[in-house]
Amino acid sequence: MKSTAFNVASKCQGDAAVVYPRGYLNNIAGESLVSECHNVIGQGAKKIVLNFRETDFINSIGVSLLLNIIEDLNNIGGTLCFAEMSKIHRDTFEMLGLTKYILVFNDENEALQYLSTETS
Amino acid sequence: MSIELKKALYNISALADLGQEITSEDNFTVKIQSVLHVIMGTFVVNRGAILWYEKTKDEITFIAKRGFEDASPACWETGQIMSLEKNEPRAVSGDSVLAGAGVAILIPLWVRDEFIGAVVLGDKFSAEAYSPEDLELLKVIAHQTAITINNHALFMGLSEKLEENRKLYEEMRRIYHDTLQAFAAAIDAKDVYTKNHSHRVARYSVAIARELGWNEHDVEGIYVAGFLHDVGKLVISNELLNKRKPFTSDELHEMKRHSLLSYKIISNIRFPWKDVENIIRHHHERLDGNGYPDALTREDLSDGVKILTLADSFDAMTTERAYREKMDIRTALVELRSCLDTQFDNKIMLAFCKVLEKEIKGELPEPNILPHLDRNFELSHITALLEGLIQELSQ
Repeated sequence: MKSTAFNVASKCQGDAAVVYPRGYLNNIAGESLVSECHNVIGQGAKKIVLNFRETDFINSIGVSLLLNIIEDLNNIGGTLCFAEMSKIHRDTFEMLGLTKYILVFNDENEALQYLSTETS
Repeated sequence: MSIELKKALYNISALADLGQEITSEDNFTVKIQSVLHVIMGTFVVNRGAILWYEKTKDEITFIAKRGFEDASPACWETGQIMSLEKNEPRAVSGDSVLAGAGVAILIPLWVRDEFIGAVVLGDKFSAEAYSPEDLELLKVIAHQTAITINNHALFMGLSEKLEENRKLYEEMRRIYHDTLQAFAAAIDAKDVYTKNHSHRVARYSVAIARELGWNEHDVEGIYVAGFLHDVGKLVISNELLNKRKPFTSDELHEMKRHSLLSYKIISNIRFPWKDVENIIRHHHERLDGNGYPDALTREDLSDGVKILTLADSFDAMTTERAYREKMDIRTALVELRSCLDTQFDNKIMLAFCKVLEKEIKGELPEPNILPHLDRNFELSHITALLEGLIQELSQ
């Protein structure tokens, strides 16, 4: 499958950070997503929302990269939310048993609203 | 859809991911890192590594890893890993060193009878045990990974051999050129008046050939022809070569033998460049058919011959001879101009003028003609002449 150029953007929202992976998460370029999450964690964020609105495809490499982020947040007792993830990806994560370690929301606002009620 | 079916579909797509990564055009480091990600994403593990067996050192080293930052595979028993069943995943719970390093599963990688390295994985993120299906899939993936690493090792081996051969070729080429120069020095030493003549003719010929757009292989050929064009003079007596008075008819006949003698000597050498021996044989031919040894005419003469003829004549004109004073550069250019169509070719003369002009203007980083010209001559005196000749010959 041909990859589209992958890039990442992020913003801070209160004590949480929202990170936007853009493009196919199917090759090593996706390491920039791990780096971005690492950066926001380094800046003090312990709550991260990954908004998959612009991510149409995630393969095994993408799963491995997301596992890195899950582990990074687990290590600091943080919270990771996935938002706007397609049904097929949600099913895959469920099948792999990863939904035990993340919170899945329909949209970003829902995730942020939940995080704002969570005690830091 | 049942969870088993979903899992089976995910595994199939993971194999497709693996296929895409191992056939990608990425460099090996990226490729092997991607393969590791595929493995870790497939089995949902957060510790994994691919190791390569370095035969000469008899040790295995990481070529991709995650989560094994503190591990030191040099301490792992390579012999023990090699003794395990080829490409078969196995739990290492009984091995305190490996288990202590965080390894749960180890797969020794083999291609035929060649030990390649290993893949090691930690526990699953979910802490579930690896299922028999996982181990079957891991076996397939490990085999593909082994082939990928082996292909890379073969490629690197070939690249190293290629580099060794290239260095050897360069060394032989240098020796070859040094030998040529020694030969040329021997030729020129016979005639006190033609010291470094062969060297200069070779340089001038190179300058013209490059200006004509010749490729570097052919340029090297004309360079060699320039060096060896007078090798036949080794057979001519020193007395005749250095005679101050005009030659008798017999002496002239003897002197003219040198180009044919050069050809005969050179013909015994199998050069990698085409036509060197013929360029040497005909370097005293003329466009009007009044040259020697074969009285060929314009149509029969190659550009190589025409280049060497002009380069040889220009150097002969601008250096002192036993029987005459040297010409200044301007006079030599005028002389060459007057012999166009009879001795020298317009196209070659144009290239010579152009390259000389470029060298005077400092447009060429490594000049081939200027360093050999009379330093007392004011080069600005020929700028206008060169411009005029270039304009005239370009029409």
